[in-house]
Amino acid sequence: MKFTQRAMLYISRKQGKTVSLFLVVFVVAVFLISCFGVLNASERLSRDIRTSLGAAFYIRANTEVSMNENGEAQVKENNVHISWKEIDEIMQAGEIKYYNPINYGFAKSDAIQFIQGDKHTAENNMGKVTALRFSALASHFADETAVLVEGKHITESDSGKILISEQLARANQLSVGDTLTLTHASLSEADGAYIDEIPVKTAYTRVEVSGIYKLNIEDISIKPTAGVANNEIYASLDVLNELHESETGIYTGEVDFYITDPAKLENITRNVRDLQSIDWTTHFIRTNDFQYSKIADQLSSLGNLVKILLVLVSVVSTAFLTLLLTMRMRSRMQEAGILLAVGVSKGQIMAGFLLEVLSVAIMALILSHIASLCVTGFLGHSLFGELQPNLINEETITTGMQNGLQIENYLKLSAVETLLIYFCQLVVIAASTLVSSIVIMRLKPKEILSKMS
Amino acid sequence: MSIIKICNLKYAYDGNRTVLEDISTDFELGKIYAILGPSGCGKTTLLSLLGGLDSPSDGQVLFQGEDIEKKGLAYHRKNNVAFIFQSYNLIDYMTPAENVGLTSKLPPLPILERLGLTKEEAKRNVLKLSGGQQQRVAIARALASDASVILADEPTGNLDEDTAVEITNILKECAHQMNKCVIIVTHSNDLANQADVVFRLKKGGLQKL
Repeated sequence: MKFTQRAMLYISRKQGKTVSLFLVVFVVAVFLISCFGVLNASERLSRDIRTSLGAAFYIRANTEVSMNENGEAQVKENNVHISWKEIDEIMQAGEIKYYNPINYGFAKSDAIQFIQGDKHTAENNMGKVTALRFSALASHFADETAVLVEGKHITESDSGKILISEQLARANQLSVGDTLTLTHASLSEADGAYIDEIPVKTAYTRVEVSGIYKLNIEDISIKPTAGVANNEIYASLDVLNELHESETGIYTGEVDFYITDPAKLENITRNVRDLQSIDWTTHFIRTNDFQYSKIADQLSSLGNLVKILLVLVSVVSTAFLTLLLTMRMRSRMQEAGILLAVGVSKGQIMAGFLLEVLSVAIMALILSHIASLCVTGFLGHSLFGELQPNLINEETITTGMQNGLQIENYLKLSAVETLLIYFCQLVVIAASTLVSSIVIMRLKPKEILSKMS
Repeated sequence: MSIIKICNLKYAYDGNRTVLEDISTDFELGKIYAILGPSGCGKTTLLSLLGGLDSPSDGQVLFQGEDIEKKGLAYHRKNNVAFIFQSYNLIDYMTPAENVGLTSKLPPLPILERLGLTKEEAKRNVLKLSGGQQQRVAIARALASDASVILADEPTGNLDEDTAVEITNILKECAHQMNKCVIIVTHSNDLANQADVVFRLKKGGLQKL
């Protein structure tokens, strides 16, 4: 009888022992794969957070508050006045990855009936235009109050591109790829009504709908039509230039700068404040670290905890598996003695034992792979569900393609990593079996048989 | 003609407690040999040396004139000798047919039927058989191996009187009709009386009675 046949007979006839070995290997494998999945996720997520845009600072204009002759407070919002020259200087301040200048304006279009706001008329049927270099970096998208649901974000290479809200698109039956003509507008208030200060239109530009976004917040405040959040149009910088509402290379809205390492934010802003070319009496800097470092630290703590757990589980499960296999081999001593007595070689006996154990282990590992996908998914969502930051990743910024953070992608181990874990487990199992077998096989057949009796 | 021969065989446990001292004799085909002796006198050790389960401290075991160590003890156990043990030593997760299949590629049923097992019994787990049936399976395994020497260690020790007689008859048949050399180690005088040649092992020496 061949050793393969003997091994298969043992597996099928000694079902209790087969099932117990199967379950131990299965449980250990599921646990190891799940732990490695969580560890992998925490490390990769932590790394991605640290290497994504970890902080930003915004240069904005001061608001002037003064008293008029009647003693009433008057608020005057100044425009930022920063040109590409100042931006160039700031970019020299060190380790700034992106800058995003923003201009604000208003636009009308015959093709758009805006969502009606307070005191809506045909004259004030206009929307606010936020022209920028990278729409993915706009605060609404960065804090996820707005999410791109269709199409592409605006990037620096775009011209004549706009993003509109889902609600505006639906109301005007617009979709990605549609083109329309915008004209300039300016919102003002006169005699309690909202008016367009540019009644005679001289500037027009043709734009294409590049993407559609969805607002995750409800806009409940009473505002004119141009102030309704769903009427906001994100546009490439050239759009307001074409509408004569801004000048090329001069930015009047705000200019945002993004860095990767939040720890360097303070130093960089200190250097920027030292620049003489910017009038700091009318401008100020606001910083934002997105709380990424806090999240990264939490992930790091979780990772450390999982590492300790993994070491403990690996040691305990290896010891347990070794013990189980040693006991299993000891219970096979009689069989080994009988086989030796009938002339079966030691090599064939050991090969049979090894084949049995590895066959059961491989079956357990295959099934554990399926089970670990469920367990890892569950663990991942339980552990990271509340922890998911909105990573502003490089791909979204530069290509405009929105890729939401999928925790499943972080939890998944690569095929090589999975196989390596399985291989290590098989090595432990094979080594335990061989060591236990060798202990028996080193005895003379007579010693084995006398131990049996 | 001698099939297996022992020359100046010595065996000592741990190098000092001698149980076999300078034993020489030979065994022929077609005969039953019984080795009698009190417990602990070295009967099983002698059988182990004849079967290549252990090596002597000194001396030689020759099979057809050749030292069994020359081709290896595993070779000797596989091709030249077959064991029958007091405790049957069957593999417990196998059927009688599969146990017999350990030593032979030939179909096991004819030999099992010849030894009195039915087809159904041959397909049952060995642990579900009686002691006598298990010993028959052990004998079938020994016979199926085609070995010319059968070494039996107290083959009737665990059996009732009637079954012991049946097993003894089967062993006699093996020797006399199948021309095997059957060497039985026992302390049963009844079994020894059935043998063609009887030895007594005492104080390390082998004495022909």
